Amino acid sequence: MTAPLDVPESASSAAPEAVVAATSGKAIEGRSLGQIAWRRLKRDKVAMAGASVIIFLMLVAVFAPLIVGALGHDPLQYHEDLVDSGTLAPKGAYGGISSEFLFGVEPVNGRDIFSRVVYGARISLLIAFLATLVSVVIGTALGVIAGYCGGWIDSFIGRAMDVFLAFPLLVFALALAGVVPDQAFGLSGDTLRVTLLIFIIGFFNWPYLGRIIRGQTLSLREREFVDAARSLGARGPYIIFRELLPNLVAPILIYATLLIPSNILFEAALSFLGVGVRPPTPTWGGMLSDAARFYTIPHFMIFPGLAIFITVLAFNLFGDGLRDALDPRGSR
Amino acid sequence: MVTYIIRRVIGALAMLLIVSIVTFGIFFLVPRLAGATPEAFAARYVGRGASMDTIKLVAERLGFYDPVIVQYGRFLKGIVLGTEYNTGAGVEHCPAPCFGYSFINQQPVWPSLMDRSRVTLSLGIGAAVLWLLGGVATGVLSALRRGSFFDRAAMGIALAGVSLPIFFTGMISLSVFSYGLGWTAPGGAWVDVTIDPLQWAYNLLLPWITLALLFAATYARLTRAGMLETMGEDYIRTARAKGLLERRVVVKHGLRAALTPIVTVFGLDFGLLLGGAVLTETTFSLNGLGKFSVDAIKNNDLPAVMGVTLLAALFVVVANLVVDLLYAVVDPRVRLS
Amino acid sequence: MRRKALTTATAGLTLAMALAACAGTPTQTPGQGQSAPASSGASGAAEVADAAVGKIYNPSDKKGGTLKMANTADWDSLDPGNTYYGYALNFARLYGRSLLMFKSAPGPDGNTLVPDLAESLGKSSDDAKTWTYKLRSGIKFEDGTPVTSKDVAYAVARQFDKEVHPNGPSYLNALLDWPKGYKGAYKSKDADISSAVETPDDSTIVFHLKEPFGLFDYIVQMPMTMPVPKDKDTGTKYQEHIISTGPYKFEKNEIGKGFTMVRNENWDPATDPNRPALPDRIEVQTGVNADDLDNRLISGDVQIAVDGLGIGNAALPKVLPDPALKARTDNPVQQRTWYTSIIPDVPPLDNVECRRAIAFAADRSSLFRAYGGETGGITASAMIPPSLAGHKEIDLYKSPDDKGDVEKAKAALAKCGQPNGFETNISYRTERTKEKAAAESLQQSLARVGIKLTLKPYPQDDYFALYAGKPSYVKENKIGLAINGWGSDYPDTYGFMQAIMDSRDIREAGNYNLSVKFPEIDKIIDQIKAEPDAAKRAELWSQIDHMVIDQAVVMPSVYGKALYMRGKGLTNVFISDSQQMYDYVGLGVQQ
Repeated sequence: MTAPLDVPESASSAAPEAVVAATSGKAIEGRSLGQIAWRRLKRDKVAMAGASVIIFLMLVAVFAPLIVGALGHDPLQYHEDLVDSGTLAPKGAYGGISSEFLFGVEPVNGRDIFSRVVYGARISLLIAFLATLVSVVIGTALGVIAGYCGGWIDSFIGRAMDVFLAFPLLVFALALAGVVPDQAFGLSGDTLRVTLLIFIIGFFNWPYLGRIIRGQTLSLREREFVDAARSLGARGPYIIFRELLPNLVAPILIYATLLIPSNILFEAALSFLGVGVRPPTPTWGGMLSDAARFYTIPHFMIFPGLAIFITVLAFNLFGDGLRDALDPRGSR
Repeated sequence: MVTYIIRRVIGALAMLLIVSIVTFGIFFLVPRLAGATPEAFAARYVGRGASMDTIKLVAERLGFYDPVIVQYGRFLKGIVLGTEYNTGAGVEHCPAPCFGYSFINQQPVWPSLMDRSRVTLSLGIGAAVLWLLGGVATGVLSALRRGSFFDRAAMGIALAGVSLPIFFTGMISLSVFSYGLGWTAPGGAWVDVTIDPLQWAYNLLLPWITLALLFAATYARLTRAGMLETMGEDYIRTARAKGLLERRVVVKHGLRAALTPIVTVFGLDFGLLLGGAVLTETTFSLNGLGKFSVDAIKNNDLPAVMGVTLLAALFVVVANLVVDLLYAVVDPRVRLS
Repeated sequence: MRRKALTTATAGLTLAMALAACAGTPTQTPGQGQSAPASSGASGAAEVADAAVGKIYNPSDKKGGTLKMANTADWDSLDPGNTYYGYALNFARLYGRSLLMFKSAPGPDGNTLVPDLAESLGKSSDDAKTWTYKLRSGIKFEDGTPVTSKDVAYAVARQFDKEVHPNGPSYLNALLDWPKGYKGAYKSKDADISSAVETPDDSTIVFHLKEPFGLFDYIVQMPMTMPVPKDKDTGTKYQEHIISTGPYKFEKNEIGKGFTMVRNENWDPATDPNRPALPDRIEVQTGVNADDLDNRLISGDVQIAVDGLGIGNAALPKVLPDPALKARTDNPVQQRTWYTSIIPDVPPLDNVECRRAIAFAADRSSLFRAYGGETGGITASAMIPPSLAGHKEIDLYKSPDDKGDVEKAKAALAKCGQPNGFETNISYRTERTKEKAAAESLQQSLARVGIKLTLKPYPQDDYFALYAGKPSYVKENKIGLAINGWGSDYPDTYGFMQAIMDSRDIREAGNYNLSVKFPEIDKIIDQIKAEPDAAKRAELWSQIDHMVIDQAVVMPSVYGKALYMRGKGLTNVFISDSQQMYDYVGLGVQQ
């Protein structure tokens, strides 16, 4: 299931004018609308808070080895002496939280939950970003082609989108991720799983973006500046790349920012259902899935769960702010 | 109107056909291309320590030696015309729509699907009522008191709501409210509504709330945005100028227009219910279609997978159709061509 | 010792109270309530941990009540000719009667074979190739039709058809002398099968074997010999409408959801000395989530978890520290060994020293935790579990605290010519948390000597058929280590060891053993087959055990234990060694 992304048509349809002005570069007032948007965004404290959290998370992901080196233990290392050999639960109160183990340890093997959450950020963010990129590329390309060409191409792509939207997404992703063997396309292990997840998630999300881009293209196509370019002898590719695409940057940006959190949730869901990245590589969804079997030890699920929550919330806040900033009519 | 419906229905059927081809391809063709032999397929459906002879017999029985296209044709024929099923001791007719018999427990797939969909529908309808009421009410109030503490708090919570994975909220609420405090039913509790409606509602209360929390957030935001927009329109000013009661202005004029996007999103969400049900039902261990599909995939029960995928696609297609028809009712500006 | 005394004391008390209740006199005896507080509450018997291991917890012969059971999965099939799950064999005895059965009794006594349909154990010819059974008289199907030997012969002939009944064991297909080209009762309707099964009269059935087989009695106790009336047989659909011969018949059966059973009036207790048949009604729910099931067991909503897997990890921190809950558990050692196959087909494991390096480096105390810690097993050093003849601890790879011996492992690696270690893969079953934990544990401990393992999870349904049991797959994908577990079909060392030690049984797919292939061992197995002296057989088995451990083709981790929980309000609860879980035939419900 993808969390429905609520970009009302009205919100993004107004954006082009702003960007047209911004990208044409002829700032009469000395401040382009792009700059106005940026100023507006800077004033939005909530969005900026979201942005700082995102930057923080990205730093955490990049410098995971350093952070873990300073504050934790190897995410794969066992600390079995910290686990009761009867109940298999961590010894000590609150799941074994201590200055040594900031988030406590896992049941059974006593792995450091803090380090695993930190390393989990890498997989989550990597998959979410790249899957979003895949969706954006496919969605934009097909959306622009459908909107610009019209006719049978449009209806063909439109039907394809309908088919994709009709698939029970998660069921399908589950099946696909389960069918692919351990070695394929010259890849293996984590690299293969991560690539696979990126493509599955990215591939199934493009129609949402595709529809919006198609709509935008349809309206842009009839605009005067496109007519002007055409009458000057510009042809398809030129119009698409020089006239249409720059004007689509705003909706793409908004949409991509809002797609990232839903992809993070999607990845977590797949890992939760057991078809994500293979153990023992830590992922947030995978940790939650393990934790589901130890519901009597709540701290085990709380930390990876909070990590997902904070990340998704940060992206949502930032995406909201970005939309308001780029949309002068804003719903705020 | 009639031609429109006919056209849409034909389009929907074509779509289901494509969905079935793709699903069939993934499960029957892709492994074949990856080098799986018919015996490798059949080996999943035999008992412990089965001999190669047994595996070959089963492969034969399930038709794995036929070309994939023939197998697909047989599947399609079963849906349209029904099929004959050999029980070993005799032959049984499986009437259309026949999705075949489970490879695992030899039960016909269609009745199992119908049976399981009771759980999924109970889950979906209950949650939908909650999220629509809660979401729309919150949205309207937020829009009317724009910028107030209530507005900010409600929108903050709404944003948090969409940011929480349902399996996380589900697990936490189960462990707190069911296992910790004992207020709500434990996971897996289920009574059919026809047997005991009160118990039915009590059992499903926690899954409903958890699922509704996730969706209500979206609806609250959507309603708020829609209301803010419509309340600024000229006709609202006109309505107010006519001296209509504010409540009437809000409900009759403002909300009605703001409902259009809600109906769209609701149709799509309800159509995707099955997708959502996978996670909810896994978390709360409810034996509905979502759990059915996960089990079918895990067990490689191919007829069951085909059946549940097609049913899910049918859901989406029908939901889309209903949404388009509803447009005409809700939004007086829309007329079907 | 103290625990035992307490049990007998309170058992006596229960009896006294029951008698008093019968007489209709009040049971108020001052002081008694305080002296045995454990006996208060509904159960009426002392709740002590392991009260049903080796003895009967809350013995009773009172009939009545509803027994509530639940299953985390579903039966492979309820059809007696198409089932092979351990718990299904245990459960089938409630609705069907095979020629023989395991005695419904606690502990080792439950390993005894007793006649069920038959009057006595099988009478074999001198060469052990012909086995004759005489049926008791007066046994009827649930519809009142008398059971004859023809019905048993038909059951055996119908299960032959593996196209229709692929799940059941194929012992009878392999052992009996079936006519050439025979395809089972459905396809070869009129075939003469007297070369395999004969019914000279309605109460006699004779089996003809291809080769001598002394343990045939163990085979006919399985549900394949439960009679099936030919005119009621509906092939794959028979599982929905089974015609009972046991004390219970199906009232309602919804495959995939559950079923209820009620008393079968045509079951005559006079013909059946083995089944007390205490409850009036049995309700079974299937497809229940494992954690929910544990919670419902604890709360009393469900009384028995049918699958016999024991309670899960999540419930441990709840159950073990709580004396009241812990008192309701039983933690028997099973005839099951969890081990890792080290497969010599995958280089460099073709070198015995490299295999030994693994056996030295493995941290067995960590494996012990992976398999569930104190309630999940006992650290194992041999393959044959403690309750079977021939069991001996083999301390070839002993290390301080069982943490593994890094020095010796490195020395072995050097001898193998891989002083810096090597890389290989380890397979396990995706669905099994404990196996996943074991694989991760090995990955950790072997990394200490430079042996790098990559985890390869496979779905359990295909594990042996397509992956870890398929020689070509294992070689191609370099699966050097495979996590395995093994339990026997019948309580005999032969039943346990032969299937995983005899290299002549290795086929192109579906093997439980790929790593043990020594002609010397095959020879000893032949020697064992011919050896009449049980003690000598046991000696030979321990010899084989020692060889495979020394050659490091298998690495035992733990002898399995399971932690079972007795539901509330049960009577006559015990674990029999043959079922290795609660014996479902004996169970009763507190009134």
